[in-house]
Amino acid sequence: MLQFVIAGLVLGGIYAIASAGLVITYTSSGILNFAFGAMAFFIARFYYYLHTQESWSILAAAAVAILIAAPALGIVLYAVLFRYLKLSSPLTKVVATIGLSVALPALATIIFGTGAIQQAPGLAPEPVKVFHFIGVPVTLDQIIVYASVVVIVVAGALVLKYSDVGLKVRAMVDSTAMTDLSGTNPTAISIGVWAVSTFLAGLTGVLAAPIIGLDPINFTLLIAASFAAVIAAKLRNLPVAVGVGLLMGVATSLIQRYLPPASAWTTEIIDAVPFIVITIVLVYNLVRRGRVGETEAWGGALDRAITPQGESKLAASTSTVVETASLNFFGRYAGPLVLVALAVALPLVLGGYWVGLTAQAFAFGVIFLSWTLVTGEGGMLWLCQITFAGVGALTTSQFAGHLGWPVLASVAVGGFVALGLGALIGFLSIRLGDLYVALVTLTFGLLIENLVFTLPRFVNQGLGLTLNRPSFASSDISYSYLCLVAFVIVSLFIVNLRRSTTGLALNAARWSQAGARTSGISVVQMKVLAGATAAFIAGIGGGLLAVAQTTVSPSSFATFAGIVWFAALVTIGIRSTAAALVAALAFVMLPAISQAYLPTWTGNLLPVIFGLGAISAAKYPDGVLAEQSRRLRHLLQRVAPDALADEHFAEEVEAGVVDTEAVGMAPEVAGQLS
Amino acid sequence: MMTTATDAGTIDATADQDPVALAADDITVHFGGLTALSGVSLEVRRGNIVGLVGPNGAGKSTLLAVLSGLLSPDAGKVLLRGDDVTDVSARHRATRGLARTFQQPELFMGLTVREHLVLAYRARVVPHRMWRDMLDPRALFRTSPGEVEKVDGLLELLHLTHVAKAPVAALPLGVIRLVEVGRALASQPRVLLLDEPLSGLDLHGSENLISVFREIVDRSDDGLALVIVEHDVAAVLALSDMVVVLDFGERIAVGTPDKVRSDAAVRAAYLGDVEPPQRTATGQTAAPAVPGSRPEVGGA
Ligand SMILES: Nc1ncnc2c1ncn2[C@@H]1O[C@H](COP(=O)(O)OP(=O)(O)O)[C@@H](O)[C@H]1O
Ligand SMILES: [Mg+2]
Repeated sequence: MLQFVIAGLVLGGIYAIASAGLVITYTSSGILNFAFGAMAFFIARFYYYLHTQESWSILAAAAVAILIAAPALGIVLYAVLFRYLKLSSPLTKVVATIGLSVALPALATIIFGTGAIQQAPGLAPEPVKVFHFIGVPVTLDQIIVYASVVVIVVAGALVLKYSDVGLKVRAMVDSTAMTDLSGTNPTAISIGVWAVSTFLAGLTGVLAAPIIGLDPINFTLLIAASFAAVIAAKLRNLPVAVGVGLLMGVATSLIQRYLPPASAWTTEIIDAVPFIVITIVLVYNLVRRGRVGETEAWGGALDRAITPQGESKLAASTSTVVETASLNFFGRYAGPLVLVALAVALPLVLGGYWVGLTAQAFAFGVIFLSWTLVTGEGGMLWLCQITFAGVGALTTSQFAGHLGWPVLASVAVGGFVALGLGALIGFLSIRLGDLYVALVTLTFGLLIENLVFTLPRFVNQGLGLTLNRPSFASSDISYSYLCLVAFVIVSLFIVNLRRSTTGLALNAARWSQAGARTSGISVVQMKVLAGATAAFIAGIGGGLLAVAQTTVSPSSFATFAGIVWFAALVTIGIRSTAAALVAALAFVMLPAISQAYLPTWTGNLLPVIFGLGAISAAKYPDGVLAEQSRRLRHLLQRVAPDALADEHFAEEVEAGVVDTEAVGMAPEVAGQLS
Repeated sequence: MMTTATDAGTIDATADQDPVALAADDITVHFGGLTALSGVSLEVRRGNIVGLVGPNGAGKSTLLAVLSGLLSPDAGKVLLRGDDVTDVSARHRATRGLARTFQQPELFMGLTVREHLVLAYRARVVPHRMWRDMLDPRALFRTSPGEVEKVDGLLELLHLTHVAKAPVAALPLGVIRLVEVGRALASQPRVLLLDEPLSGLDLHGSENLISVFREIVDRSDDGLALVIVEHDVAAVLALSDMVVVLDFGERIAVGTPDKVRSDAAVRAAYLGDVEPPQRTATGQTAAPAVPGSRPEVGGA
């Protein structure tokens, strides 16, 4: 028993340090750092580089990596990114840190060399010494973890309680507005907080590396687990976060003791412990009918008053809405039509292997459209669309493979199974703020991935399951067109929905819950509707993708892969159906091109680009495609002023009713209009 | 343009003859230690305009939140046409004919002015379209003549026709207030709650909107009633049939504009009279006022 508690405190200690790092940046800047795991990996990889690859001594390598590089990383990121995010909406903050979490590990691989490293030394000299503590063997690495936790808890408590800086930090935790007003300098404190947080990330990384290896996926998983402690602490309560972190580690260890050790389920349940904790906490809150939202958790009424809650939401920059209104039919639809024409030509122009890839790209396009609907239109940040796609793919394989159903009917069944799950998630997350919605969907994805996707009937000894294409579309080229048709149908559905009463109501629910409810619109229904429909679309897309690849293996639907998909889509644009197609083509074709024609290291460049692209969503919420076509339009408007302009709108601007400057409309356009 | 059989264009006009459109009975609301409303009652008769005045922080917006169902009171009841709706959601109160505007505008940033009105109209008159239109490729063109007439009429009335197609994100505050009123009216309400509808408007705009309020009440054939929260006491006294005065969460006076204008407690609350009043008509002691910090009672 004691032996398991002591072992559990190692994992628990790592959870505790990570949760402390997450809580302090959340309380000081309102940013829940989804990139914490990526930062930990980056520093741990750097330590490995210094100590193992460059043969530095442990002390020197640890000092440089944890005490210098880690805080420096935090300060740099604060300077170039986090300080701009402070007043952004929760949605923008989450997307930016997600982008960072995609870019950082790829960047580490480019800088320090390739490959996941299974065996990484910790801070203890090798061979690691083993001590005996009341008959329980304890390694020096473990002792270092305990010591770190104790030092951090004691030092943290002392600093927060007794020092001048601690007082300021606590004041800021209570209210940034008050700190601003009372003249203390929140910038200096914020920089300090980020430096401390990345220091904790670096420490977490170096401590965890000997246990979980140097694999970015494992790191992000570890941090996602720490989110459980952070959520239990309602994002702000440092002692609770540390305590729950420690308890989770012990609980995990005890489960190991009391469940049959040989069973495959045991390992899966162990992996799922943190996500079960999150589920319990959220269901508990739901049952208590309390609304769980970051606004309550962040500052007082004054902070809320000065923080733009509704503004700058990702993916609905109002300037775009205004600008679209200024366009005539040609200005609005020329781009998408050209794009569809190109997509039709693509399978004809390309040959062999590449045609198969276009089929996959069009199927990806369908999956991406599910985000266009739920996030782009509905403003809900769902991070589990890949899970719905996986559910669609696996259901398809079961019905088509085991039950012998026609393959397209099986794809449809997959869509409906996903729809049911989507409705459930939509319902469960109704009362949650944007940030919690992101966390819940991420957790849901990880739970399904750990508990369902690992079932033997899906894994099939690592071989996956094979599928046959429908007889009328068995060639690559005909199946490509089948997927393209599916894409166009779903696109038209979304475009129609956007302008129908449903779309208006969805928009209402997104922008003002109070306004929607007092106009007789059910916010709950609209959100469940958007979520369920999007899940259906993702499920169908997943089924189509599986049929395109003719095999289904659950491992290709890992939740974190979905985050890279999301980053790719946000980079190109999450608002438009055309952007979904471009993003899908880029996502499938660019890696293949890099593999076929370019040096290998370029393969890692793509995640970096997508990650940075997602970060830039804070600045260009509509993505690259919208930004570039806007530039193109401005150029055209200079050449032929009337070609694209909507006459009616021009009159309004002229009459001075529409305030183009107020919405940040480009001066060229406004100039053309008035 | 197509008409559908389901779209009757109007709400059932089986107006029950209860003369009281909306009533609040002994409402109490606490925010932590602060008592925002203590035992406030209010009665709104069909076809009446009720003015709700009081200094900043008096609890006016809180009362509207309770009436519209966005906030549930710690004690007291809300009655809509005689039915107890205290436990009815904001949405269902809206579908029963209660509409409101907000002090901080709550518009839908992605929509145009016209779309706000269209949506509010459909949510009340043809709510099933919120689900069905999603799958109907003709959804775009399915506007009934009733809808067009009502929406265009309101746009005209509020002088919004020329901005009908503009996204609300691009509009100045004065116009935004009008859009909120338009959205509320498009849902064909029987009771309309207005939270400081005149703030942010210039003199011309205010006068215009006040005449609109008079007109919609006079023109209404099923007894539309208004509750107006306003800072501009003179305007409210001139417009209202009944006035309710709140101060520090308590109702310090109620009655016709004339009666309220001469009420000692009201004068104390607004003017900071040297002699604090002992007892008011409603039997409650007025809280001491801060001299000079309150707007003047019109004509006093
Ligand atoms: N959500 C809330 N939480 C705490 N206090 C509130 C809240 N809303 C209003 N209050 C307080 O209740 C009192 C009444 O506010 P309000 O109804 O907005 O006043 P009015 O609209 O008359 O200016 C004020 O003191 C205000 O600070
Ligand atoms: Mg108010």
